[in-house]
Amino acid sequence: MPKLQRRDYYDIARDMNWAFSYVGEDEVFPEELSKSFGIHGEQWWGWDEPYKLTYREYVHNQAGKDDGIYSIRSTIARSNLYDNLDAGWKSAIKAHYGAIPVPEYFASIGEARMARFGRAAAWRNMATFGTLDECRHGQAQIYFPYCLLGKDPQFDWAHKAMHTNEWGVIAARSLFDDMFTANDAVSTAIQLTFTFETGFTNLQFLGMASDALHVGDIEFGALISSIQTDEARHSQQGEPTLKIMINNGRKAEAQKMVDQMFWRSWKLFALLTGISMDYYTPLESRTMSFKEFMQDWICRQFMDQFKDLGMNVPWYWEEHFLPELDWVHHAYHMGVWFWRPTVWWNPDAGVSAAERDWLEQKYPGWNDRFGKLWDVIGDNVRTGQIEKTYPATLPIVCNCCHIPICSPSIGKAPRITTHNGRKLNFCCEVCEWVWKSQPERYDTHLSIVDRFLAGHIQPPTLEGALQYMGITPDVAGNDAQAYAWNGASRLAAE
Amino acid sequence: MALFPLQANFRGDFVVLLIPVDDGDDMSIVADKVAQHAVGLRVAEKSAPKCVYYNGRELPSSMTVAQSGIQPMDWIEVAYV
Repeated sequence: MPKLQRRDYYDIARDMNWAFSYVGEDEVFPEELSKSFGIHGEQWWGWDEPYKLTYREYVHNQAGKDDGIYSIRSTIARSNLYDNLDAGWKSAIKAHYGAIPVPEYFASIGEARMARFGRAAAWRNMATFGTLDECRHGQAQIYFPYCLLGKDPQFDWAHKAMHTNEWGVIAARSLFDDMFTANDAVSTAIQLTFTFETGFTNLQFLGMASDALHVGDIEFGALISSIQTDEARHSQQGEPTLKIMINNGRKAEAQKMVDQMFWRSWKLFALLTGISMDYYTPLESRTMSFKEFMQDWICRQFMDQFKDLGMNVPWYWEEHFLPELDWVHHAYHMGVWFWRPTVWWNPDAGVSAAERDWLEQKYPGWNDRFGKLWDVIGDNVRTGQIEKTYPATLPIVCNCCHIPICSPSIGKAPRITTHNGRKLNFCCEVCEWVWKSQPERYDTHLSIVDRFLAGHIQPPTLEGALQYMGITPDVAGNDAQAYAWNGASRLAAE
Repeated sequence: MALFPLQANFRGDFVVLLIPVDDGDDMSIVADKVAQHAVGLRVAEKSAPKCVYYNGRELPSSMTVAQSGIQPMDWIEVAYV
């Protein structure tokens, strides 16, 4: 019997939509898990995506891809490739491994919710593949660092991090819970797949894979490349969902969800990717600055999407977002380095004389704002006063992004407000707007400073805080280059 | 006399810090307590007096926290004069 061509059967086999008669729509798609935005039943049935993958093809393709990356891992395990990598690059991949693999599992929960509560059969089909993708990504990205445990105990945090109350983990978990672990199906499609994956991670993974190959980290490059091709597919759930919302008069609601999650994603992206690109990636391997990457890839991608779909750029784009490209990740980097015992990787200061020249060239004014602070740190290192390069108190963190509140300029106050008698601190107007747009969603969550002041952290000292965060002496971060950058810096100054 | 947490930064530094003071501390002591976490660590030391700013105004060095109207976890800035 001749086989049918896929185009002849695919849509009819996939689109098992029907009108319910024995149960109500609200029982099949409860608002809390699915959220209709007032768009019901058949209005969702036109949902479509371009990949039109079958399960047989999925299994065949993914088995081949997984074979490929696990073979590379097995081959490289017998070499000394990892040992020869730059210490800064090792910091970048350790930061990535702590922040990403377990949230990939979290994402599989979000995908599974869409696979059940997505409002069209085509969407549920796509989300089923997404669920499998995210499980596999979690497994691969935990297995690879697991194989490196014998070389460095910090890789243990690929699995451990998300089970702790480390401050950066609180920030990441707060974002990911909001975006997909605890989000309804429709909002997950808009916020995870359209905003975060299409806008940020799909492009970031392309860039990271390229950087990995530049520095000679074939293993990480292969892993990230493999994941990126899945991201490119399952991120396609966002656009058709968005189009249905727009076509049914829900553009304002969709715009608000995009605006909220673009901002939240940006803050964590600046913390992880901004630092990795501009400080941890070896100077000779940098192909562009973080700001250039954001402008050329992320901003352009979003601009194109906004234009194509008739959406607007977020209200904060010119006044808040674009100015932060110049400074915010430099401040985050200094904070991570100074509070380095509180992270699970060894931050690379990345401020040798040559690196400082590069930073000043890419970010005019860097020396005046951040370089002179590094001068004082460098003097303390040179004179053997290492104790002055460590913190003795906590920074204040933002109640929305949960990242320390940093300042781009002199005399800029944090935004302090009260909600039902609770005092809240925000790093900027946009974080305050995000929080106040859904206070019932965020109000019970305590920042690490709130927990410290509430007595959850005992003893109430920095040591007590490290213990609370799960940081043990064998993983507590230290300078990645054993302060070698400082000698280079001094020679240039002389 | 009671422990009194504040948010503070030293002018020129990059981050807001949690600074525990005492409500009986005067502003010169408060300024020193904030400076201890920034000056000589990241902000270059100067031989100049320091002052505390709160809600846009400079507070007298002899004024105590209790007299100043500062509330717990309010933000202050300390700077060289």
